[in-house]
Amino acid sequence: MANISVEAIHLTKHYGAYNAVDDVSFSGSQGEIIGLLGPNGAGKTTTIRLLTTVLGPTSGEFSIAGHQSTAATEIRRCIGVLPESSGYPSHQTGGEYLRFYARLYGLSRRQARSLSVELLAAVGLEQWGRSRISIYSRGMRQRLGIARALVNDPSVVFLDEPTLGLDPAGQAQVLDIIRTVANARDATVVLSTHLLPEVEQVCSKVVILNQGRVLVSGSVGEVIGRALIEHSAHLRVPLHHVERARQALMQFPGLTINQVEGQPDLLRIAVETPGAASAASPAEAMNAGLTAVTAAGIPVLRFELEGARLSDAFLKMTSEAVA
Amino acid sequence: MTLQVAPPAVGTRQDVQAGEGQPGWLVVAQQECRDLWTSGRGLILLFLFSVLLSAVTYLTSTNQALNFLEQRESVNLVLQFAVAVGVLATLVVGADGISGERERGTLETLLVTPVARRSIIVGKLIAALTLWFATFGVSIPYLWVLGREVGILGPALALGFGVGTLLAVGLGSIGLLISAACNSNKTSIAASIFLLLILFAPTQLPSGLPQGWFFEVLLRANPVASGLAYISALLVEGHAWTQDLSYLITPLLTAIIAGSALIFAGPQLVRLTRGVNAG
Repeated sequence: MANISVEAIHLTKHYGAYNAVDDVSFSGSQGEIIGLLGPNGAGKTTTIRLLTTVLGPTSGEFSIAGHQSTAATEIRRCIGVLPESSGYPSHQTGGEYLRFYARLYGLSRRQARSLSVELLAAVGLEQWGRSRISIYSRGMRQRLGIARALVNDPSVVFLDEPTLGLDPAGQAQVLDIIRTVANARDATVVLSTHLLPEVEQVCSKVVILNQGRVLVSGSVGEVIGRALIEHSAHLRVPLHHVERARQALMQFPGLTINQVEGQPDLLRIAVETPGAASAASPAEAMNAGLTAVTAAGIPVLRFELEGARLSDAFLKMTSEAVA
Repeated sequence: MTLQVAPPAVGTRQDVQAGEGQPGWLVVAQQECRDLWTSGRGLILLFLFSVLLSAVTYLTSTNQALNFLEQRESVNLVLQFAVAVGVLATLVVGADGISGERERGTLETLLVTPVARRSIIVGKLIAALTLWFATFGVSIPYLWVLGREVGILGPALALGFGVGTLLAVGLGSIGLLISAACNSNKTSIAASIFLLLILFAPTQLPSGLPQGWFFEVLLRANPVASGLAYISALLVEGHAWTQDLSYLITPLLTAIIAGSALIFAGPQLVRLTRGVNAG
């Protein structure tokens, strides 16, 4: 097992009677991307602020890259942070901004200059280093913020809503950078976001928070498994093949097939009781059904698995917790 | 577009650990100075100061020509104006120091760097003081024009610089403390200007008013009024340097107490607003 680089143990932060973070524990290893999920007010930002030493915990402890929570300066030396809704000095250029932060980490002017050029290129802003930040788009500012979070070549990077307000292309770019940071730099990334499909793609571990508490943590598969969600899928085939597709799927006793109202070419397939189908798991039952359809020579126009997604697990768990 | 955030070519992690660059307070001070002067904020304040100082100098020199004012009094008046406005500018810039960062959302990124919070506020105080030094520099030619014939230019400059620097350190520190304690930048700046008006009000009272012991206590308790009274005593009344040194006790104590409070208590005040953006 790789080295543990982020560990929170019973971390708690109270503001008077309000529990912003309540007994939060989780850990992450080197090179891992940890998705910190939760509805608004769940305690994600406070958890990040505790781990980055901006706030002091009411109780509990944590360690970052081997440094205990009491060694705040050492922790700050080895972390990179992109805070939520981070502001930028609009009159500075991107290059000046990065050079200033690099020098705050103890680099000389010369080192800061060469590093800023390198980081601007790394986040695709090499043409914009001499331009004032005031003319940067939101996506460019976010990428600049990520570059700033990397000036000290951190062991652990905290990114709080890095894709907030970005268009799909901007989101893809930022997620691409995050993936590369974890892989190429072997850094642990703690990512707070609402983009659940992207979390499924990039995160190796997920921690779902609600009202300051950890609802569930583990790999994406484990979290979905614990949610015990009804597994279903939608299958779209050409209209004249619908009946044949239904016959092919009926071979599997654990599957229930229904036509979606108002959409005659769309079938809803549900695993009646996960595990009861002929295959070992709901996903395998779905796979077997899909294989039978394609083996019958029926063109599949769309096959969308539901209930096996992180978003479904997230919604189910957070709504259950509220109820 | 595919981006490649490869490991840095320079040994950044080792360089960060070695920390061979300049100390944090100096880096912050340099950047704050650059922000103050290249953003145009400092230059605008300096330009406004020059316009006001020109008007004041013109009025005092015409009064002097009409024999309403002695040359010594003219120098004293312009010097007091320069000190007052220079200190005001320092206070206002200090008052924007922390609350402004909070409002602009740039404080958190500073707080997660290894630079101590004390270094951040010391750097900001140094940058705010540059405005005082600049305003004082601008006032030198005006003082030269008014005071060159009576031979008090040297003492006037030394006095103005010494007393003004004491007041600027004290009030700049108070401005930063107010800024650290306020959530809103507007509140911080308004409170600072209100404080300065209270401190300057006694200096604007007509000199013909009866001045009893209570007035004397108020004068000596007020760092601005007592500092300016010391300047007056030397320049206008021709007292010796040592004769009225007691007037400098309050400005000196203000600089020491406010400066120490900033250095020792400031780091506890430099923090994010409770609950802001709590996730």
